Amino acid sequence: MNQTSRFAPYLYVAPLVALLLFVFGYPLIRIFEFSFKMVRGIDGPWIGLRNYELVLNQPLFWESVQHNLLLLLAVPFMVVWSLLIAVVLYERLKGWKLYRVVLFLPYILAIPIIAVIMKKLFQFNGPVNEVLRWIGLDFLALDWIGSSDVALWTVMMLIIWRESALGIILFLARMLSLDESLMEAARLEGANWWQRVWHVILPQMKVVMEFYIVTSIITILSAVFAYVYMIGGGRGGPGTSTMVVELYIFNALIRTSLPGIASAVSVMLFLVSLLLIVPLFAARRRANEEETA
Amino acid sequence: MTGKWRQSFSRRELLRTSAAAGAGVALGGMLPAWRARAATELNMWWWGEQELPGLQAFVDDSVKKYTAATVKPMLQDTAVVISQFQTAAASGEAPDIQFLWNGIYHMESVWLGYLQPLNGLVSDEVIQASNPTLLSNFGGNTYRVGWYPLPMIWIYNKDAFDKAGLDADKAPQTWDEFLAACEKLKSASIAPVGGGIQDGYWGEWYFGHALAQNVDSAGETIGLFTGERDFREPKYHEHWVKLEELRKAGFFNPEISSTELYPGIDLIVAGKVGMGLSVGSRVPADSKATNGRIGTMVMPVYGKGKLAGQPIFDSQGLGIPAKAKDPKAAAAFLEYLQSPDRLKALHELTGWIPANKNFDVSVLTDPTVRDMWQRWGLSPNIPYLSNLVPGQFYEQALLPTAQQVVEGKITGEQAGELAYNVAKEWRDFNPDIVENYQKWAVDLGG
Repeated sequence: MNQTSRFAPYLYVAPLVALLLFVFGYPLIRIFEFSFKMVRGIDGPWIGLRNYELVLNQPLFWESVQHNLLLLLAVPFMVVWSLLIAVVLYERLKGWKLYRVVLFLPYILAIPIIAVIMKKLFQFNGPVNEVLRWIGLDFLALDWIGSSDVALWTVMMLIIWRESALGIILFLARMLSLDESLMEAARLEGANWWQRVWHVILPQMKVVMEFYIVTSIITILSAVFAYVYMIGGGRGGPGTSTMVVELYIFNALIRTSLPGIASAVSVMLFLVSLLLIVPLFAARRRANEEETA
Repeated sequence: MTGKWRQSFSRRELLRTSAAAGAGVALGGMLPAWRARAATELNMWWWGEQELPGLQAFVDDSVKKYTAATVKPMLQDTAVVISQFQTAAASGEAPDIQFLWNGIYHMESVWLGYLQPLNGLVSDEVIQASNPTLLSNFGGNTYRVGWYPLPMIWIYNKDAFDKAGLDADKAPQTWDEFLAACEKLKSASIAPVGGGIQDGYWGEWYFGHALAQNVDSAGETIGLFTGERDFREPKYHEHWVKLEELRKAGFFNPEISSTELYPGIDLIVAGKVGMGLSVGSRVPADSKATNGRIGTMVMPVYGKGKLAGQPIFDSQGLGIPAKAKDPKAAAAFLEYLQSPDRLKALHELTGWIPANKNFDVSVLTDPTVRDMWQRWGLSPNIPYLSNLVPGQFYEQALLPTAQQVVEGKITGEQAGELAYNVAKEWRDFNPDIVENYQKWAVDLGG
């Protein structure tokens, strides 16, 4: 390979790399820089690690982290629920294509639209509680969005319902690409439905499940803003019961004019997400290798 | 496009056409500069259509009829009114006229040097008549002209009062009278007091009304944030204790925690809740919807502060950024918006009242609205204390505490403790702003 052809590929991608560096790299550098400054307006004096110190000593920040971690409990539910529905659809029940569309619908709809409807449904005197009272289940008619003890679980329900739609489609797509002859062989060997699922389907789903779990964890750590914003009255309420790290950053930046603090928390969230992206890439690499094999 | 045409279009012609197009664009770019020499151009960033429908029509009408300058209005999004302005001001790209919420919502921009005093630019007579309120003052200067008012009120449903056997023409004035009215309303199966606190704003409104009961001046309130006074002292958290008492007595509507502010006010208008917080700009519509069966009142008095029992008056306003290209032209437009013709137009296009004291009230046909304006707008009034609250305190204490007290999660005393802690945190996070707050307290009689 001569000198020109060795550099040619790099030259071709150079404009795109430059663009990406400008769009993503520059803001990232500025966020790191801001996290060490007391920013007022668009700049401010250097204060070292003070922003990190203030944030890490604030109970509200840790409460936000705790809420994000609690929301992670949704991930196993999402995986199990998505798998269950995907397996049922894989059995090609009558009308399964229609069910598939209906189940995927929540994922297409914008979160604010879903959240507004959910909010109406789950008001203390809303339709859900009215029905519960009507059928004599008064003890279940909770203040779903108005109680500090319940609101985060309501958010979690909404997350499970919507985010599972992606899992269902991913899992179903994988199942539909499985080798039918293996299933047929298992059936001929006398394996029942559960044995076929456990011993034939699930082992082949490992990689896509890993992928879904990692993306779900990243979603819950850094992309649940819209859910809590809509359900928590835009404030992470009632009280601070649905405050999460993203909303904390938003409040610091927009509502309390503390870009330095917002940057410090963003840097920490970025680093945590980065740690999670490593297994995500590993899972994708394994998937590619398996497909190639 | 035909193939023949493409074949005959040479590279030379392409270059020639490009050059002509480039020259055209360049000339076009020069045109605004040429036009600017013919007439002054002002950029106005404003907000308000979101809370006062019809304001867009008023702005458009005013801009169209104003001949001394070309005004380019831009309606801002609620979430970025402050941040967009501050970022633009910091980079020297601020507009010539900026919408400003009252109190700390514009005072921080004053301290950052982004706004200029209006004294000497806008006539003192116009500033005073426009009702900018005390909270627009810093260092002896005024930074806003009032635009449209927000009387902070309590309302009650007269039909609900009738059903409960209460005098619908006499609202409770003392806390004891208020509790007695609550008992009667409850006996008549009407939720005595409340609304909606799910989005938190109810807590802000309540704080503005209730803290005033135990303070002597707006400046005294600032001491609670700067550390000279302490929320843990009973008189400074008594307002949250009163909330706790109302909850324990079962006086709130049961859906208060899951209902937002405005749907909550709708419950009072519908007669499902007897009394609660509201804002003056809603009264014309609410009075009309109930055939005049909505009454306005000041929060019943329990406290001993000098501000207790006084009507609370707030206003939205406009100011001039420090680096406005032509501050005199901007000031002239602000004065134009306060002219009798424009005051009349604002009322006609929005159905609401302009903040200006010179507005001709004879056009107000609804006695409830006229009476409210007389009591809140034209009589001695006090500023809205929630506008003194630092953003961090607002988000982390003011809204959450009221929600938690109303749902029974914390007591009023615990709310005071939480407020004290958050005020302390605010000082740690914002050491550069504390000093300005202390200076501001002087302007506010602290």
